[in-house]
Amino acid sequence: MTLENYEEMMDGCVRCSKCKFLPQLQIKSKRFSHICPSIEYFNFHAYSGGGRMIMANALQKGRIEFTPEMLDVLYSCTNCGGCEVSCKWVYDLEPNEVIHELRVKAVESGAGPLPKHKKYIELVERYQNPYGEPSEKRPAWIEDDIKLDEDSNTIFFVGCTAAYRREEIALSTAKVLNAGNENFRILGTDEFCCGSPVYRVGDREKAIEIMKSNVELFKSKGVERIITSCSGCFNMLRTEYPRYVETSFEVVHISQLLETMLSDGRLKLTNEVPMKVTYHDPCHLGRMSEPYEPYEGEKVEILSQVYMWDPPKPERLGAGGIYDPPRNVLKQIPGIELIEMERICEYSYCCGAGGGVKAGFPDFALWTATERVQEAEETGAKGIVSVCPFCSTNIRDSLDYRESEMEYFDLTELVLMSLEGGE
Amino acid sequence: MINDKFYSRLQDVVGERNITRTPAILDTYAFQWGYEIESAQRGDEPSRFGQRPDAVVLPTTTEEVQTIVKICNEFKVTFKPFSTGMGPWAGVSEPGAIQIDLRRMNRIVEVDPNNLYVVVEPYVTNSELQAELFQYGLMHHAQGAGPQTSPLASHTSFVGPGFTSPYTGFSGRNLLGAEWVAPNGEILRLGSYEHTGKWFTGDGPGFSLRGVIRGWMGAYGGLGVFTKAAIKLYSYPAPKDWTWNISGTIPKYEWEVPKYWKLIVLNFQEWEQYESAFYEVSDHDVVMMATTSSSEGLAALFTDTKMEAIEVIFGGLLARTRRYFIVLIAAHTEREYNYRVKLIRTIMKKYEGEDLIEEGFISPRSAHYAETIRNMLGGHAFRFSNCFQSTHGGMDTVAMAVKLAQVNQPIKSKYIEKGVIGDDRGEGIWTTTYEGGHMAHLEVPTVYDGASKESCLGYAEYQDECNDVDLKQAYGMPFFIVGDKVHDYYASRTMDYPKYLRRIKAAFDPNGISDSSHYVSAKNKSNE
Repeated sequence: MTLENYEEMMDGCVRCSKCKFLPQLQIKSKRFSHICPSIEYFNFHAYSGGGRMIMANALQKGRIEFTPEMLDVLYSCTNCGGCEVSCKWVYDLEPNEVIHELRVKAVESGAGPLPKHKKYIELVERYQNPYGEPSEKRPAWIEDDIKLDEDSNTIFFVGCTAAYRREEIALSTAKVLNAGNENFRILGTDEFCCGSPVYRVGDREKAIEIMKSNVELFKSKGVERIITSCSGCFNMLRTEYPRYVETSFEVVHISQLLETMLSDGRLKLTNEVPMKVTYHDPCHLGRMSEPYEPYEGEKVEILSQVYMWDPPKPERLGAGGIYDPPRNVLKQIPGIELIEMERICEYSYCCGAGGGVKAGFPDFALWTATERVQEAEETGAKGIVSVCPFCSTNIRDSLDYRESEMEYFDLTELVLMSLEGGE
Repeated sequence: MINDKFYSRLQDVVGERNITRTPAILDTYAFQWGYEIESAQRGDEPSRFGQRPDAVVLPTTTEEVQTIVKICNEFKVTFKPFSTGMGPWAGVSEPGAIQIDLRRMNRIVEVDPNNLYVVVEPYVTNSELQAELFQYGLMHHAQGAGPQTSPLASHTSFVGPGFTSPYTGFSGRNLLGAEWVAPNGEILRLGSYEHTGKWFTGDGPGFSLRGVIRGWMGAYGGLGVFTKAAIKLYSYPAPKDWTWNISGTIPKYEWEVPKYWKLIVLNFQEWEQYESAFYEVSDHDVVMMATTSSSEGLAALFTDTKMEAIEVIFGGLLARTRRYFIVLIAAHTEREYNYRVKLIRTIMKKYEGEDLIEEGFISPRSAHYAETIRNMLGGHAFRFSNCFQSTHGGMDTVAMAVKLAQVNQPIKSKYIEKGVIGDDRGEGIWTTTYEGGHMAHLEVPTVYDGASKESCLGYAEYQDECNDVDLKQAYGMPFFIVGDKVHDYYASRTMDYPKYLRRIKAAFDPNGISDSSHYVSAKNKSNE
């Protein structure tokens, strides 16, 4: 697809502003009625899903051009997909796809991404991770008692953030896998960034190179199954890779696997973890992880001025994300009481870190996380649980900033606490 | 182009972060649904891009708005305010104008559950307000534009029918007071929102300024800026322990329907039976909703996707539907509920009608009840084509609505045959009664292709013909796409009312800087 392919869709926006809010039936209070962090923070219409779609349309029609100010608007979006869920309930429009395509055009035209994004893309190319850390340090999180099975065709794809910044998540994930007798190995120093930070800011060409390279790596290592603890990696490997490259591996998120291991009795949670917690749905595990079904078809006029896709086009509304597994696991931990926030599942509020925002607009990222933390605090919970190292980083930053009494936990950490003989 | 001095003065008011003249941002204010019709009428390619403002400002207080308006007067710069900003009337119409985006003014100022009113700012939306009011067991009138739109905008500046109109009337009826920054920069507090904010009448003190600021139709943002509105509240018929409980995953949400609620679709063979039944139902004042559409409209209302709607239409609904109206019974008690259901069924039988829900031709789910009360059903019309507009819009009696529906059918069919508008066999209308009486509203939603010049021009021609019928056969004013030309078109048969509107405009807007594109200009531009 190119931006040109979206022009008819962009013309169809009625500027109704539904993209700024939760799906309207899900609004339970004024305080938490919004879905789009960007419009909430910056306020001008251009900062909404619909606004960016109009901006893309204006560019496509030659009314405007890429300028530093325009790029700031384009990249101050976490690409969380919330706008698209709210819009698609009524309209046949895909604002989040358009935003991504506009980023691709910005990069292809030499205008984008932002300097900070270019910097970490260079780091990915040079060091295989956006943090510029040496490959040798990638498996440094491993402790001696972690059992790896070098003959396994299943890998735990650790991801850059867990490997270098949130090592505790990598470690607790490996430990619960061991506890459940799930054989796996890791790629260690050979693991390469999944491509997410490159892809999200619109450098599709480089991202596809990374995808191809990773797919070759997986093939050469005999990988048939990939476990991730990172929602961003999960989204790339399960949802985005098949759009651009041929894949032959299964991708499982640790929350799905934990649910399976509990149901087949491989894991037994016995220790009480007396705590009220609330769960934050990462966008990339939730609405954004819904697979794209390959589609070829055309619009046909079935009644005057009424068009349908022939054959029917699969709808990607956000319902196909991973919502239940982490909740089902939490509910099985003795002592845990799960209290939901107002914005959950397909209409969950973003943590604020994604889409290059944490690097490009740290103040905005922190503000968004703080919005989310305040929502979590209002539940009365003492712990905020999620399953994404990148969300973890941003939410922790906000907890520190607010000097909140809440604590952040990765799901695997709570499971580990509850295991017999666990920590 | 606005000059730097003017821009700098505005920046001093709202701060650097809340003003922009970046073209890419400004262009997102130049795009509106409905512009494609106006551009096609001008002979241009249909386009939703219209006039780009020269700057956008985001004030957060009434005093900031007042200062902005005074600066605009000083520099003779046209301004256009908007709240949630959907529709061609929201944007600026002239080069060199600025847009006042009111989205930072988003507070619910006061809820008075005893005296049944709420005071809101412009960017409080219907769904937000409704969510907050439920905790008091109260609700407000939400206009048909949708749950994401501004009740203040509708109550101060538009007609504002909605799906609960039989119970809550229309927007203009519910305005109890307003804080108004007049085009000359003066702040006026009207009706219940006078300085103590504790007495409540939409009119007075003294002569009624409600008639001045809005009348029946509203000024469509062409007469200054409304910064607060006091809005009438109604009892919400649900048990005290009921809460808004929605479950499931999109698009199949489930809602906890209050215990004594029921949807009925009363289908009659002929207009005469329909009209008599509609009158009787209205007489008894027992329903929250009483509305009519086409077969296609009915299918769209109570399904969740376009595909589902198409399947329902051709699965029997099209063949079975004749003249129908949908009612929502929403009672406080079992006794009240039983009485109302029995009464509606009695009226239905009396006129040989049937319930299309009971007969299995359409099956509203619990979420559709929620969408009814949240005023979302109108949005379903977009599922067919992403695009429609309404002609007509007169407010008169049920009988007039029925007559207009009959008169419009062959007109609409003519344009359907030309292939320029959507095919609903000319039957597509939307009616509602008001306030449990004989008053009714009829508009004719019409699907067209916003990307096709032929379709846009065809729709525009159809709209002109509808306006002509409204005028010559006295079916009332159209309530969409207004402005000097349309107002003047009706002047000769309506006591030359635009002359008086222009006096109001001239008195409050001496410099003519409150963008009047969808209201009237002080000087009669349509004669120039």
